[in-house]
Amino acid sequence: MSLLSVKNLQVTFNTEAGLVEAVRGVSFELGRERLGIVGESGSGKTMTGRAVLRLIRPPGRIMADAMTFDGQDLMAASEAQMRALRGRRIAMVMQDPKFSLNPVMRVGAQLMEGLRQRDHVSRAVAYAKAVAALDAVQIRDVDRVMEAYPHELSGGMGQRVMIAMMLIPNPDLLIADEPTSALDVTVQAEVLSILDALVRDRGMGLIFISHDLRLVARFCDRVLVMYKGRIVEEIAAKDLLHARHPYTQGLLNCLPRIGGTRGPLPGLDRNAEWAM
Amino acid sequence: MGDVMALIEIENLSVTFNANGRRVRAVEAVSLKVGEKASFGLVGESGSGKSTILRAICGLAPVSAGRIRIGGEAVQSPRGKAFSAQVQMVFQDPYASLHPRHTVDRTLSEPLAIHGIGDRDARVMTALTDVGLPTSFRFRYPHQLSGGQRQRVAIARALMLKPQILLLDEPTSALDASVQAEVLNLLMRLREERGLTFLMVSHDLAVIDHMCDRVLVMQNGRAVEELSRTALASAQMQTDYARSLFAASADRMLEG
Repeated sequence: MSLLSVKNLQVTFNTEAGLVEAVRGVSFELGRERLGIVGESGSGKTMTGRAVLRLIRPPGRIMADAMTFDGQDLMAASEAQMRALRGRRIAMVMQDPKFSLNPVMRVGAQLMEGLRQRDHVSRAVAYAKAVAALDAVQIRDVDRVMEAYPHELSGGMGQRVMIAMMLIPNPDLLIADEPTSALDVTVQAEVLSILDALVRDRGMGLIFISHDLRLVARFCDRVLVMYKGRIVEEIAAKDLLHARHPYTQGLLNCLPRIGGTRGPLPGLDRNAEWAM
Repeated sequence: MGDVMALIEIENLSVTFNANGRRVRAVEAVSLKVGEKASFGLVGESGSGKSTILRAICGLAPVSAGRIRIGGEAVQSPRGKAFSAQVQMVFQDPYASLHPRHTVDRTLSEPLAIHGIGDRDARVMTALTDVGLPTSFRFRYPHQLSGGQRQRVAIARALMLKPQILLLDEPTSALDASVQAEVLNLLMRLREERGLTFLMVSHDLAVIDHMCDRVLVMQNGRAVEELSRTALASAQMQTDYARSLFAASADRMLEG
């Protein structure tokens, strides 16, 4: 049985300017694997991830024919049941450490907060676990980072702190929204290998949301390509660089390459039919 | 590239921050030279000090040792008007670098007002056209623009005083691939048209390769290795760190 099953997911926002359909009929199954969702900003990839956790505020609305996680109906779950799932069983790493970490709380305290409140462990145990989590995401100067406020960290450090925080409760499903876009390639590779180990060793499911096609091609098992709220192509990650859909091809072609010609990069010609 | 030609000269630059009484050395004894109309890249992981170098040039970071010369002259502290007419910076995050309650018009006119330059109307309109934005965007606020449009405004703002040098701090890393392509094309075109000199920070080796003639690899605040574009593309690096950076970017190669 799959870990997560989503059928005909719709996310709509009723705004003053009319109904905005952010996600339009997205269906997918996720096992204990790495599923990539790629697309540009506004393609609905983040909204798809948030909808799984039912983290969409009014006027946003989530509708789906079915959305089940490990046998539990997420559409029918109460707010209390959702709270019990969030963090502990389904965790989400948000895109931007600047907005997702508490700016007036030291990193160490933020890491320990969940452990103290949710798992009721002692301060010493929480501290040790927080330090271990920072170690696991390859933070060198652990003592300084524990005492630091988020604004004292670089983007990459902040991102790693968030990943460490989400991994502490050992979730079954991790939704990572651009978890490595603030990181540079070497750290990116380290973070990906951490995520990879979690999928392999602990059988965690991973939804990896990214706009970086080459990264997703290398890292994921399967990829959904989204455009304007729809899945335009589903493809095995190893075949992504030879994608057939013109939108996927266009996204690949506009990337600069090492040793390339340095001529103007091709733009992306959008075709209205892709959104149909 | 002879010494005489260098437009930007940085010699043994160190930047030391004071964090809770602890001294954090963000940049240690880094030297680099960028010739006129050249394009120089800085790469390295976060915290390697690459952005700090750009900030130090602008006087936004505490320089503890070393010299910065622009066009052969040591920079003044505080930097002053002559400096801002010559050197401008484009920041990484167009959401944070534009004033949210200033219209595009106000953002673009402000440097002109400060420097007592007249004919603002025409200059603002020309600046918008130059970066490929419709002039109807003039009275919009940043929240009414997309990320790519905002970065175009930030580039237009940097160019208002017709500087010789642009410091680019990850100018496209917050943008989608297709928008990144448009902004990189815009920067290439402006550089060509105006004979600009670029000092650019990026963590994407493919972007650096596309834009720059030379690149300095940094790690933990130190310069590790300087490479020409040819050496980068043919993987002729001497140090292990530069090689590992390159290996991690292997999917960005031409054949990719």
